Amino acid sequence: MPAKDYAPIDENWLENAGSLWTTPWVDKPSERVIVDPIILSHAASLFRKNAGYFYQNPDEAIRMVCHACELYDVTPVGHYLYADYWGQDYGAEIKIQTNSPPGITKRPIKTAEDVDNFEVLDSDELAKGPTLTTHYKALDTCKEEFPHMFAPITQLGGTMEVATNWAAIEDVFMWMITEPEVVDKLCQKAGDHMVSACKATSERYGANVMITGSVIASGDLMDTEQIKRFSFQPVSRAVRKVLNAGAGPGIYYHLCGNHTDDYQMWKNAPMSPFTIVQIGYDGQNIFPTTKLVEAFGDRCTCFGTVDTKLIDRGTPAQVYEQAKEQVIAGKDSPRGFILGTACECPTNAPPVNVHALVKAAKDHGKYEKF
Amino acid sequence: MDITITEELNNTLKDNGFKEAEIKELIANAESSGQKLKARDGDISIAKGGADNLTVYAVYSPSELLDVYAHKMNIIGLTGGELNEIDYDDASNWACAKCGEIALERNVDMTYMGVTRPGPGLVCPKCNEFYVSDGVARTLKTAEAILEEKRA
Ligand SMILES: [Zn+2]
Repeated sequence: MPAKDYAPIDENWLENAGSLWTTPWVDKPSERVIVDPIILSHAASLFRKNAGYFYQNPDEAIRMVCHACELYDVTPVGHYLYADYWGQDYGAEIKIQTNSPPGITKRPIKTAEDVDNFEVLDSDELAKGPTLTTHYKALDTCKEEFPHMFAPITQLGGTMEVATNWAAIEDVFMWMITEPEVVDKLCQKAGDHMVSACKATSERYGANVMITGSVIASGDLMDTEQIKRFSFQPVSRAVRKVLNAGAGPGIYYHLCGNHTDDYQMWKNAPMSPFTIVQIGYDGQNIFPTTKLVEAFGDRCTCFGTVDTKLIDRGTPAQVYEQAKEQVIAGKDSPRGFILGTACECPTNAPPVNVHALVKAAKDHGKYEKF
Repeated sequence: MDITITEELNNTLKDNGFKEAEIKELIANAESSGQKLKARDGDISIAKGGADNLTVYAVYSPSELLDVYAHKMNIIGLTGGELNEIDYDDASNWACAKCGEIALERNVDMTYMGVTRPGPGLVCPKCNEFYVSDGVARTLKTAEAILEEKRA
């Protein structure tokens, strides 16, 4: 739908939601904790469209996301991203899928020699590439039509995510055992690429919020030493370079998956005044906010989560209960708290479950320290 | 120490409200006290001065002023309070001219408009002195602008 087919956004709501959402970073009192269910293609389902449609129409995607934010009364940010970024720019092929985000079908790196010859693009080249052109189309629409919901986000994932968008995951895991120095090189290049991508965004919009962290590099697939070597260290180096290049200030560490054994090391990851840390799971369970606040509360904003499986397949009562527990544990975290979901809100999650999540924050997320 | 300032840089200084005399004094202080960072592989130094509400840095070679930058966020100490061992290479390209230690890139807590948050600093582990790089000062400028807007 073109812009004219959407009902106008309620300006009073937007102003209020906007001030709620900055609370975590600026210590400015507001009535309650804000909720960010990371709405992406879920927004399309509210408009009876599918994920394929969402990702083929970035300008419309952002309109749907912004209107979904109003509908649910959540963090007003025009998110547009998916996991398999950064393959296409280097020659990979991508497949648009009907019911899930785009996926990479052919990757540019096939052999260990390809890793040596692989050249990272600079910020100008990336800005003209397929990933950022699509991404910026969404962001430009947001900036023009929903300026108060605009955030200059660059979707990176960690070095292992970028690496596995360039080379097949089974090859990368095999090299990790047979030729780990090849993976070192690959992760180093992934880090350099992250710096170029962040520079491109900050050159275009004057600031940049990087989404990084570690999704594949979690305790379910790698041991702690591997996570340190191929994720924590190269990601830290890349983030430091981004900040030293003036391409900050936002850093969002999205540690998806199980991080029981490695979460403590991320306490020493480079941070800026606008840093968020989110951790998915503690073993099989959702990562407890108490543990998150204990480790990160005196450093940055904590993003406490509700299990996406619960949002997708649980009852509203189950969602409410988990959200209540997490928000009570986190709302007075010294450097701010956000309630959200462990990862992207599932495309076809029942809207009542998202509503239950928000309701828990409204009922139990009142700040007491202000 | 006689340091020349190109006309171009001098204009930039003026545009940004820096006075030539203050910058020269800042450098003179660093040279006499030895409190500055020195490039590990060259002749470039970073001197630091100013007050709580504005920290000013001058980057210079023995003969020429190369850059001046500043931030309003006031560095109050190491994030987490102490200098623990960490698990990645945090050695910067700079060394403390006073004690010779390599400056480490570590999170430091910064305060501005009543808000305290971390930022990436250059830290002399011995003298407990804190600096920031020119790039980080650019990042901090964006952060300061956001805080000014949101705290107002
Ligand atoms: Zn020293």
